[in-house]
Amino acid sequence: MGVLFKLSLTGIKSRFKDYLVLFSGLVMAAAIFYMFEALATNNSFIKANATFSLAPFVFQFGSVLLAIITFVYILYANSFLLSMRKRDYGLFMMLGAKSSKLGQLIFLETLIIGALSLLGGLFVGVGLTTLVGQLLISRLDATATHFTGFYLPAMLVTGVFFLILFVVAALLNQRVLRKTPVLALLKSAAQPVHVQVKPAKTIGQIICGLACLAVGYVVMRYIGSLQILGIGVALVTIVLGTYLVFNSLFTWLLARLQRHENFASHGLNNFTLAQLNFRIFDYNRMLAMVTLLFALALGAITTGMGFQKNIKVYTQSAPYDVVLHDPTTTVKQAAAKIDIKRQNHYTYKVGANVVYFIRDQFDEQPLNAQKPWRKNQVAAEYQSIQGQQMTANSELRWQQSLQTLLLPQDSQKTVKLVTAATFDQVAGTTQHLTTIVAHDFFSDLPAIKRVTKLDQQRNHVPATYALGTTKYDMYQMMNGLLSGFEFMGFFLGVAFLAMLASCLMFKILSGAANDRLRYRMLDKIGARQRLLRSAIAKEIGVLFILPGVVGVIHVLFGLQIFTTTQLLPNAYHDLWLPFLIFLVLYSLYYLLTVKLYQNIVLRK
Amino acid sequence: MTTQLPLVDVTDVRKVYGKANEKQYEALHDVSFKVQAGEFVGIMGASGSGKTTLLNILATLDQPTSGSVKINQQEVTRLRGNQLADFRAKEIGFIFQDFNLLENMTAYENIALPLSLQNVSAKKARPVIEKIAATLGISKILTKYPTEISGGQKQRVASARALVHQPSILMGDEPTGALDSKSAKSLLDTMTTLNQEQQVSILLVTHDPFSASYCQRILFIKDGQIGQELNRGEQSKAAFYQDILGVLGRNEQQ
Ligand SMILES: Nc1ncnc2c1ncn2[C@@H]1O[C@H](COP(=O)(O)OP(=O)(O)O)[C@@H](O)[C@H]1O
Ligand SMILES: [Mg+2]
Repeated sequence: MGVLFKLSLTGIKSRFKDYLVLFSGLVMAAAIFYMFEALATNNSFIKANATFSLAPFVFQFGSVLLAIITFVYILYANSFLLSMRKRDYGLFMMLGAKSSKLGQLIFLETLIIGALSLLGGLFVGVGLTTLVGQLLISRLDATATHFTGFYLPAMLVTGVFFLILFVVAALLNQRVLRKTPVLALLKSAAQPVHVQVKPAKTIGQIICGLACLAVGYVVMRYIGSLQILGIGVALVTIVLGTYLVFNSLFTWLLARLQRHENFASHGLNNFTLAQLNFRIFDYNRMLAMVTLLFALALGAITTGMGFQKNIKVYTQSAPYDVVLHDPTTTVKQAAAKIDIKRQNHYTYKVGANVVYFIRDQFDEQPLNAQKPWRKNQVAAEYQSIQGQQMTANSELRWQQSLQTLLLPQDSQKTVKLVTAATFDQVAGTTQHLTTIVAHDFFSDLPAIKRVTKLDQQRNHVPATYALGTTKYDMYQMMNGLLSGFEFMGFFLGVAFLAMLASCLMFKILSGAANDRLRYRMLDKIGARQRLLRSAIAKEIGVLFILPGVVGVIHVLFGLQIFTTTQLLPNAYHDLWLPFLIFLVLYSLYYLLTVKLYQNIVLRK
Repeated sequence: MTTQLPLVDVTDVRKVYGKANEKQYEALHDVSFKVQAGEFVGIMGASGSGKTTLLNILATLDQPTSGSVKINQQEVTRLRGNQLADFRAKEIGFIFQDFNLLENMTAYENIALPLSLQNVSAKKARPVIEKIAATLGISKILTKYPTEISGGQKQRVASARALVHQPSILMGDEPTGALDSKSAKSLLDTMTTLNQEQQVSILLVTHDPFSASYCQRILFIKDGQIGQELNRGEQSKAAFYQDILGVLGRNEQQ
């Protein structure tokens, strides 16, 4: 064991760069998982911040999704680890090491790498959580006194989850190693696969794949009525369809291009095609996986940003920006800072069970009353009605609308509209109600916030109480919920993108040693450096573009889930922005991969 | 012959391995010789004598520490970047001991590579490739992958690739080193034919006297220096072989 252990350590040293890629991928996965757990379950964070009450729910949902994908990702990363070690272990076996000993060794190795990346991940995770927590706090416009990135329960959950994953991975590795014959281990790297394209099989697969995708896309359209079943069906058909399409279409496309002599014989095109063809089976599986990660990442970012748009929609649906109750001069002065479009003044008196308003005042200053709720309506809609229209018939509408304007202690009382004369005779002090509509809510947000706070202090209303009809309260509520979604979307997106990138890197790096020899040879027969570089850029470009295109199509269809369920009725509006952001990130990953690969393969 | 400018002109080439602060080793010491166009020259020496180092410098794959190498009157030691790549692509045909075929491409595609690098159209390339393949006797295996053919066939494919773009000179670093004797003989016969009938200039590095006996002239290299030169003249191959053995024997006794 001692000697073998030393040998295996030297093996690791010699492939340190590859291990670094593997390690950084695992660390990021653990860090992001911890962040989601910490934000979702940190109680002190939640209790101290009323506006956050909905965010944890949102993050909990995200962490379940993340857990599933992380699971798949770890298995993939693990197969990369195994592919790096196969040759070494084959050699050890040749030298007479028992396969049971080697089994123990790979088991240990996997666990050690897992434990190290878990530790690294938790460390990075605490930093990440602190950072994101601060961002979230400032975005939600709240002050959190109790927030730290360190949260023990989340650490435990992350630790247990990852340890289980790595034990599973270690067991799998041990099994594979015991089952594979020595010769296969030794030769595992460079066995070329020459794919015979059988037209009938290919066409069959293309049809099956496209049919699967079509079913998936249609199911997503009707997700509202199919519910959980729909999600299951869509998941299976889209995963399967993606794989089949890559397996058939990609193979077929390569074969076509290779037959296209004028294209193939130009520069190193033929070589690039051969490179792709060489690993086509591996690539197909990986491309399908990367496509799904791409779709998830882009989808998460797009919907996240969509939720941000929803905040505007909901906020703007409220009829008043802020409502004042018996404003003092301080309150009035603060309110004067708002760029006011319209403001109404009403007087009212509060009885034991009744609140009285003067009907005439509404003739001069109509009320914004909520319209009856229609099916498929996103946000409440309002219409202005005058005093004469506020009859018994339409009572439901104006009653409620007026009630929501009142202070909490009065909001349950019946509202009565009376003449000015009657009003004078009613017992109780006259109170004043001022509704303000600003020209632009969002540009006046700081002033409006101040006025709202002052009004709450003046009337001893708790800060958490929301008047249903002011833009400010609506904004606070929706911001709490939807910013959570937005953040989650963005971080899930980045998390998936990171996994996607490392999947691609695993695949590409695991072939780098052989590629080095090939590019060396091309250099020797006189291929210019630029040509070699562009050949690498092209080869990797294909591996990035194909999943990108298919992933975008998945997202375009997938967004239907959000429009048909009314979660994001405008999901398709302004798509360019999230797509652009994503494109930039993706391109950066591409450039990084190409540079890295060029350095590895072309280094003299 | 003497009035003709040499195809290869090597003057005082030195090669020192190891950087200034490391342990240094002089692999080549003031090597000078000339090769005329159309010659079939062998460079012979024991393992470690500097043959590969020398050939790599001639083939522009490596640079000398000092000295000059002219091929077709062009100083090649000063070539860099694209000029260097283009020179390799146009002027040099190189056969490696370990074949160095791309195992993910068919024999045909491997042979076509140098032409693709010069952007020769597929239409123009096909007859050229087919002709060289016929010369080397590998027409039947053009659609096969390197893993599907024998060592001898691989080396023929490698030779075809080295010749397809009609380089000024064909260089081989122990091209028969990994072949069985029958394949080695047939490859050497083919080289002789190429040299005699198509006037291909050949520079062959070997440590094996049998392979060397195919050459017209042999330069013996020992400890990084050219010691002796042997001309075949009108001798038969067998007689030349005996001469070579004689030189080797004397060298050993020294
Ligand atoms: N890259 C290198 N670095 C240091 N020494 C080298 C290098 N390449 C070759 N040598 C040394 O130079 C000498 C000549 O090597 P080489 O030209 O390969 O010999 P041959 O091909 O005749 O067997 C040998 O002693 C070898 O150890
Ligand atoms: Mg050598």
